[in-house]
Amino acid sequence: MRVSVDGRQVEVGAGASILHAIRAAGAMVPSLCFDERVSAAGSCRTCLVGVDGHAEPICACTSTVAEGMSISTSDAGALAFARASLELIVSELPERALSADPKRSELVRACQQLGVDVGRFRGARHTRGRDDSHPYVKFDADLCIACGRCVRMCDEVQGTFALSLVGRGFETVVSPDGSDWANSGCVACGGCVDSCPTGALSEPGLLDPRPIDSVVVTTCGYCGVGCSLDVHTRAGEEIAAITPTRTAAVNRGHACVKGRFAHAFVRSRDRLTDPLIRRNGRLEQGSWEEALEHISRELKRIKETHGPDSIAAISSSRASNEENYMLQKLMRAVIGTNNVDNCSRLCHAPTAAGLTASFGLAGGTGPFEEMDHSECFLVVGANPTEAHPVVGARIKQRVLAGASLVVIDPRRTEIARYADVHLAGRPGSNVAVFHGLAHVLLDEELVDRVFLDDRTEGFDELEALLRDYSPEAVEEISGVPAEDVRRAARIYARGPCSAIVYGLGVTEHAHGTDGVRSLANLALLTGNVGRASGGGVYPLRGQNNVQGAADLGTLPDLLPGYQRLTDDEAVARFEAEWGVALSRRPGMRIPQMFDAALAGRLKALYVYGEDIAQTDPDSKRVVAAMEACELVISQEIFLSRTAELADVVLPGCSFLEKDGTFVNFDRRFQRVRTALPPPGRARSDFEVIAAVAKALGGDLGCTSPADALEEVGRLCPHYAGISHGRLDREGPLHWPCRSAHDPGEAILYRDRFATPNGRARIAAPPYRPPGEEPDASYPFVLVTGRRLEHYNAGTMTRRTDNLRLRAHGFVEMNPADAIRLELVEGDMVEVASRRGAVTAPLTLTETVGVGQLFMDFHFPEVLTNALTSDVVDTAGCPEYKVTAVRVHQLLSKS
Amino acid sequence: MTRDAIVAFERRYGSPANSLLSRLATVQTEHGGLTVSAADAVADEIGLPRAHVRGTVSFFGDLGFGARGRRHVRICEGTACLAATGPGHFAAIRRSLLANDETTVQGVYCLGYCYGGPAALDGESPRAGPNLSSQLLGEDPGADPDIPVRAAVDRPVVLAGIAGGGSAWPVWRAVLADGGGERVLKEVDAARLRGRGGAEFPVAAKWRAAAATRAERRYVIANGDEGDPGSFADRLLMERDPDRILAGLALASLACEATAGFVYVRSEYPRARDAIKDAVYRARAAGHLGRNIGGSDVDFDVEVIEGAGSYVAGEETSLIRSIEGLRGGVRPRPPFPTTEGLFGLPTAVNNVETLVAVPWILAQGGASYAELGVPDQTGTKLVCLNERFARPGAVEVEFGTPVREICEVLGGGVRDGQNLRALQIGGPLGGFLGQEDLDVPLSEPALRRIGIPLGHASLIAFDERIAGAAILRHLWRFAASESCGSCDPCRIGTKRGLELVERDEERPLRSEERQRLEALLDVMATASMCAFGRGVPGSVRSLLRVYAEELVAT
Repeated sequence: MRVSVDGRQVEVGAGASILHAIRAAGAMVPSLCFDERVSAAGSCRTCLVGVDGHAEPICACTSTVAEGMSISTSDAGALAFARASLELIVSELPERALSADPKRSELVRACQQLGVDVGRFRGARHTRGRDDSHPYVKFDADLCIACGRCVRMCDEVQGTFALSLVGRGFETVVSPDGSDWANSGCVACGGCVDSCPTGALSEPGLLDPRPIDSVVVTTCGYCGVGCSLDVHTRAGEEIAAITPTRTAAVNRGHACVKGRFAHAFVRSRDRLTDPLIRRNGRLEQGSWEEALEHISRELKRIKETHGPDSIAAISSSRASNEENYMLQKLMRAVIGTNNVDNCSRLCHAPTAAGLTASFGLAGGTGPFEEMDHSECFLVVGANPTEAHPVVGARIKQRVLAGASLVVIDPRRTEIARYADVHLAGRPGSNVAVFHGLAHVLLDEELVDRVFLDDRTEGFDELEALLRDYSPEAVEEISGVPAEDVRRAARIYARGPCSAIVYGLGVTEHAHGTDGVRSLANLALLTGNVGRASGGGVYPLRGQNNVQGAADLGTLPDLLPGYQRLTDDEAVARFEAEWGVALSRRPGMRIPQMFDAALAGRLKALYVYGEDIAQTDPDSKRVVAAMEACELVISQEIFLSRTAELADVVLPGCSFLEKDGTFVNFDRRFQRVRTALPPPGRARSDFEVIAAVAKALGGDLGCTSPADALEEVGRLCPHYAGISHGRLDREGPLHWPCRSAHDPGEAILYRDRFATPNGRARIAAPPYRPPGEEPDASYPFVLVTGRRLEHYNAGTMTRRTDNLRLRAHGFVEMNPADAIRLELVEGDMVEVASRRGAVTAPLTLTETVGVGQLFMDFHFPEVLTNALTSDVVDTAGCPEYKVTAVRVHQLLSKS
Repeated sequence: MTRDAIVAFERRYGSPANSLLSRLATVQTEHGGLTVSAADAVADEIGLPRAHVRGTVSFFGDLGFGARGRRHVRICEGTACLAATGPGHFAAIRRSLLANDETTVQGVYCLGYCYGGPAALDGESPRAGPNLSSQLLGEDPGADPDIPVRAAVDRPVVLAGIAGGGSAWPVWRAVLADGGGERVLKEVDAARLRGRGGAEFPVAAKWRAAAATRAERRYVIANGDEGDPGSFADRLLMERDPDRILAGLALASLACEATAGFVYVRSEYPRARDAIKDAVYRARAAGHLGRNIGGSDVDFDVEVIEGAGSYVAGEETSLIRSIEGLRGGVRPRPPFPTTEGLFGLPTAVNNVETLVAVPWILAQGGASYAELGVPDQTGTKLVCLNERFARPGAVEVEFGTPVREICEVLGGGVRDGQNLRALQIGGPLGGFLGQEDLDVPLSEPALRRIGIPLGHASLIAFDERIAGAAILRHLWRFAASESCGSCDPCRIGTKRGLELVERDEERPLRSEERQRLEALLDVMATASMCAFGRGVPGSVRSLLRVYAEELVAT
């Protein structure tokens, strides 16, 4: 539709608001109750404008445009009423409302624009007081103008419904659903704070009046969603606040308690600021020269004595693509071994293996934005509202807007409470359940025969296998009622566009790869992949750059870009670029590294940004493996358990201090930009790896992260079109991106699958029981996972006020089990497995099933991974999700 | 599909949330008040977010967090009770009742006993009369006077049933059998029937709009939230001829292609609520409501919802929110309820008096109806006269009847030999006329020309005993206590208006105050979101005009 704003013609969509047209024309009117992320309320009445043909002013945010409409933002009559509305608003507020920094107060900016100071309408103000109970969300109730933006952010973006306006008339004010903010349902996504126009809702860094003078746009370093964040700093030295980037394609101005608020760790006093070297059994501060000299001496000695394959590196899925590239290049080109792996081994290795086998490429099949068109979600083994909150919230909103939802998870997670059908199978029964769903799809002829014929192979084997997986048979194996399996299959098939979203509850099993493949089957059977329609298969990546770490080749059998060591042409390309001959012998996976160390075959281990002593399964064995090595290097930002055991500790950088790129869960390269300098003598990890190479007499070549990505582009056809320059100019790009003009392939497989013959491969793996099952001695099944407030080993989040939101780890048990065992909430219990025992307080919740326990692994004092087993999948991923344990009371709460 | 996440949430996960208000009221009565934990428990039980239930509790006048006595008395602070006794009676009765510590007292704006006030609701028992205080203290027997009713028309429309015209249900069955929704629309169109709630929207157009919106289901709602102090027309109809309202609603459902209806009755009218509920049961038993009514393929049933104390809940978006169990805040329109109404689905909301005329129109033909009244406003109106008139009560008149005739002939003039000092027409959002203004015909266009909205056409006579300042304070108190808070000109403006006039000394507004008041009235009238905030200024201004010598310094 064509409308004119102050004489300027603009084109806007039918149904657009007048305010939208005004903004599109580059004009500005105050709009205190409006936020483009949520619906319009029309409460502040400061966006009044003149419209030709209307005698009265029109409220721009709630009125829609009409063809040919002529809008005036300078209409004197409308402005007078807008100003009077603002004068009324000002009249209820204390003076401090208007003395705020205009950059931090929309209200002050509106007053400046309309020339309002104290106004004509003096009268009673509010005396409601403050609520500072929450560490991040600070509420000054006397500044609330009841615009409801916070409530709508909570409802329409976050989907937590924790806020409401209360009272009526002049007394209307927002309130959380608890005795105070800290004891409410608020999950601290920060949406309310971010939207508040007056500063009634604020946060510590914004309440501090010192100037905020720099904003850096970067990518979040927590989880794999890949939210864009604006980092606001004071003189580039101190973070004042981090807010979600409003225009970001991924998060659209939304974030979670981690990305939004958990940044205090960067200036934590116990950051590593100097290299540490073990002398006489103790780690002591040393210089970079000493540390590098020590490393080079020892590595050279070990390589000469035991050969290059006695050295291995574990790279970091939190580190940038460029740093991962550098580390694998160090190992391959300087040390001469393929012994490099990253923690995707422990989470999504089955995804890489399974999706590559089924579809051809190791990543999600479409962009996050496609979920806007998904009419059905099948969420499997994922707790997205806690572990990937921005995705979880988006799915919730889609479901509220009418999409159907099937959840497969042993736990009754928050997202499961929203489900049409929740299949809570026994841990380890995934493959059977997926086959059960496939069985129903076939049995009820809900499959897409044309798609199967044209684009897949292997259907006949699956069809034969599925005879054994009737819903009733699946009920036997999994405990999921047969009728629920049928209902779930029908919902998924009905779609019409059904997305599969899955997490580590699919992969972290003894047969995780089988799980991924049999899950992928469902998308293939129904044609819900390989077309633009809101279908697709989305693995939710655990760490911020777990996709990128694998993409960039910190894998023992694959070069950057998933190029095989057996691919002569690819190897030749690398050898030409790097100027060295490469070892063609595949290296060790992480679990094999520990085996080799214990067997005396591995002598040196370089651990970069990974706390293996806390996060890898069977911690006791991991520690023994580290102790068996002659040299352990830990490149870290804190003295983690792993660093404590190392011989040399190199101080590196957090994501807020580095330059480079991450790849998020949907294969999107996004820029990471330096917001702060590293503390003390810590160096960027990129420089550290280059310095180690140099100390060894090598030269990794790349002078900067941008340079490194250029080199990657020359070596990896899938990333050829991606560079820092282009990302800075154009924004994020999806791989495959084959040239500087290729927009990137956000939706994969539209014409053909990336397999040699272009057909997707349907797999027919039989169900096999988990590696460990409960028995009389160990009657419970322990499931591990994350909580909203913390992130993996907790190294970062435990050094922030997130600790005030969740202070310690505990064991979750179903109340029915507690009654049987005569345990009560708060009891200290010992949880023991065949490998170890830990002590933690007990909490009772129906989110875990009878016979199951749930624990996180964020807290070193509750070393959950002392319990977990080192049974691994064919792709090398441990069975974190199934551990047989027993529980007994140590100390009664009473 | 609605953009409104909380409504979407409720539609999908709440069960059945439209019972929230009555559920809360029950808990309040049974447990001697509402606590936060009790509200949370109700929220969990119904499946609504706790925050939103707290928001609802704190919004409605009857609810709120706090204790409630074993005896709970609602005392009418309405305009007619003010006209009857002056401004002091509420405080006096309150004081005497609160001497008993098991009693709690709540002021409410109008119980619909304007013809016989002052009035109160003792629990659910109405009490009214000049001796109200003695009734409540048990010194006199309780009185619940009937509404005097007269038809000043040859062929009563609104009063058709009450005046002995028989049941309206046969009309419903006849239309169901022959003509259906198209016939309803055709006749209502021909009648040129407009909404009687005050907005004067053409009824057939509204129904067509609801029918034209694609949706899995549609709703019709009878708005029995007669909030205007001074009006008791809807109470009369709901108590005395509820079947006709239901038949009208059923006919509306046919026109809108709706399958479910609600009657929203304000909590100040317990008798009306019971009568409507009873009528629904009887209609179901008689087969007028239900599935495949009369062997047709039409399904239609009705549920009665009781409000919880909010004037603004009579506004259609607010009314819908309160049926949804949410805060009854007004929402911007568009979207209009006919496209996005109850639970996000197309909904037609009509005043009960509007619906009552529909069976007559179908029985007699739209053309007959259009012959009544005046060319620019067809039909009849049930006018309510307060107890200051010699002959108070409800009178059905044709549109166009001069106001003076209604007051002086039908109402018999002011009683007790007093003079009419001012006449309020159309409730708190209507306006005031002086003795010399009464020759205006009673019709929306005619009154609009002199700046007074017809509203629900209640007439409240003030004699000379009541000071203009008392009426002005009353207007602003009402406005400030009933403003829903959805928009700032009204939320803050009503408070500022009250502050300007609420003071101890009796004196006219100073010129500076008058300027501030004018600025305030300007912004409220133009910038407010709904008819409430937009309507208060006109009412205040007309009062200032009629009582200029008292209220305005020269």
